[in-house]
Amino acid sequence: MTRSSLRFDYGREFGTAAGLLLLCATLAFLTPHFLSVSNLMNVVQQTAINAIIAAGMTLVIISGGIDLSVGSVVALSGVVLGSLLTGGHSLSVSLAAGLAVGALCGLVNGVLISFARLPPFIATLGMMSVTRGLALVYTQGRPISGFSEPFRFLATGELLRVPMPVLLMLGVFGVAGFSLGWTKLGRYTYAIGGNEQAARLSGVNVRLYKTAVYVIAGWLSGLAAVVLSARLNSAQPIAGMMYELDAIAAAVIGGTSLMGGEGNMRGTLVGALIMGVLRNGLNLLDVSSYIQQTIIGMVIIVAVFVDLTLKKRSV
Amino acid sequence: MRYHLLLPVGLLILVSGVWSGCRPKDQAPEAGPAIALVMKTLNNPFFVDMERGARAAAQHHGVKLLVQAAEREVDVEKQMQIIENLLERKVDAICVTPSGSKEIVPAIVKANRAGIPVLIVDTRVDARALSDGGGRTVTFIGSDNIEGGRIAGRYLVERLKGQGKIAVLEGIPGHETGDARLKGFREVVDREPGIKVVASQNANWERDQGYNVLQNVLQSRPDLSAVFACNDLMALGAIEAVAAAQKTGQVVVVGFDATGDARDAIRKGTMAGSVAQHPEEMGRLAVEQALAVIHGQTIPKEIPVPVELITKDSR
Repeated sequence: MTRSSLRFDYGREFGTAAGLLLLCATLAFLTPHFLSVSNLMNVVQQTAINAIIAAGMTLVIISGGIDLSVGSVVALSGVVLGSLLTGGHSLSVSLAAGLAVGALCGLVNGVLISFARLPPFIATLGMMSVTRGLALVYTQGRPISGFSEPFRFLATGELLRVPMPVLLMLGVFGVAGFSLGWTKLGRYTYAIGGNEQAARLSGVNVRLYKTAVYVIAGWLSGLAAVVLSARLNSAQPIAGMMYELDAIAAAVIGGTSLMGGEGNMRGTLVGALIMGVLRNGLNLLDVSSYIQQTIIGMVIIVAVFVDLTLKKRSV
Repeated sequence: MRYHLLLPVGLLILVSGVWSGCRPKDQAPEAGPAIALVMKTLNNPFFVDMERGARAAAQHHGVKLLVQAAEREVDVEKQMQIIENLLERKVDAICVTPSGSKEIVPAIVKANRAGIPVLIVDTRVDARALSDGGGRTVTFIGSDNIEGGRIAGRYLVERLKGQGKIAVLEGIPGHETGDARLKGFREVVDREPGIKVVASQNANWERDQGYNVLQNVLQSRPDLSAVFACNDLMALGAIEAVAAAQKTGQVVVVGFDATGDARDAIRKGTMAGSVAQHPEEMGRLAVEQALAVIHGQTIPKEIPVPVELITKDSR
């Protein structure tokens, strides 16, 4: 990355953050219910699941790929986790298994993409259907519900008055932001997404790092499944439908370029928050659910338009 | 930097546009109580009818009614978000058609904690999950779906004169309504020695899946004599598949809900019958009973809404 592109990144981020603040200010003006501590807590909690998935998605998109399987992986991890929990296994074993299922799905994605050389769109589209089917077969279509209090604490509990999903989300973004900005994994991910050929020629083990990126995304889907199952006290094989699109939207609103090589975690967190705040505000204002979808779609289009306009200027 | 303003300004324009768009609704009498109706989705005419009934009752009684629904019928997490958000608006009562019979429980508990009465409409809450979660609901307003299934079963047995092969299109597994219809239906047809259920497949409540599933069934069972679909969307898909196989008239199709499209099909003769529920009546009852609860009256634990079979001969 050059200096100028770094500075450009900060500018873009400022734009999205200002968008979020202005959105909040507008909602605070429109409805007295928006700006309360409990409502803002709700928004952040409601954002957590999408944000955690979007962190993995950001990594994948920066590497020049895409992962359409995340929503189905949430379902598969969730039902495996749920069946172990209700089957009397310990919390730690069940959690480890749920997360491992996520990582394993990511590994399959990574191997298909880096070693079998399938286009990411196709490989993960296939895996989206494979994992959804497996989740349905595994449960015979039935939700698994009724979990123990210690497990449910992961979604309903609080530490120092901060809800657990929010803590998990902040933890994920802390680690992911650090990894992306300060570690070899992060630098190589940008390099691969920017120019894969050049990265390979300069000695980056492209296959290894590309695979790693999908494994991380899968693992994070597993983590999202943990939060989702604990929140609803149920793991559903049909959970997580279309979550991939929400995650992609959060990343894109946050300035991640679908062309690869550009983006960062702070932007994605703000992007996910914009979507969460928007949904919350539209509920509070009692806007028809038909219009809500339209508005969210328009926000995505506006965000990408801004992104493209900025890029043209920076060239 | 100038362009960074695009996103926030765009959002602002969007939100204020919507605000002005939904104003007329908000100018309804602010003095009366506020009741929220949270539905599964508004993509299904059944719930659109329910909304109409509720709105008419709300206007008649001077109630401020907030209607919200998730984009997809199966999205239990989104429904929970909507309820959380509406609790912030401090409505006086919440009527819910649960997207998941067990998954709704955490949201009910949240409403209980906020001291807001919860009325369940159309789809029952799982009684055990509710008592395990420590939640309370005021009443259940809805059809007797088991009886509805029996009515459909009895009609088909009569139409087929006790002889024939039946395919069943199921809704999403684990949905209380679908399960109850199925149970009532099987109760009747399984007693008939001449009737065989040759296929019982899930078509996810959707029209296109009803089409595809029945098309496949017809491939393997060209001698099929009847179809029972657990809702009209799947039944309407099924009659298209029957028509495509040029078997209209040979295969008797019975649906559930008696939506407008289904009634048209029954009039045309492509569909034999449909068990009518009365969603408008449910919407009306939901608002009126919620109002009674707000005024401190005690209401029955169960408020059944009658079901009836609609055929060409009825009216």
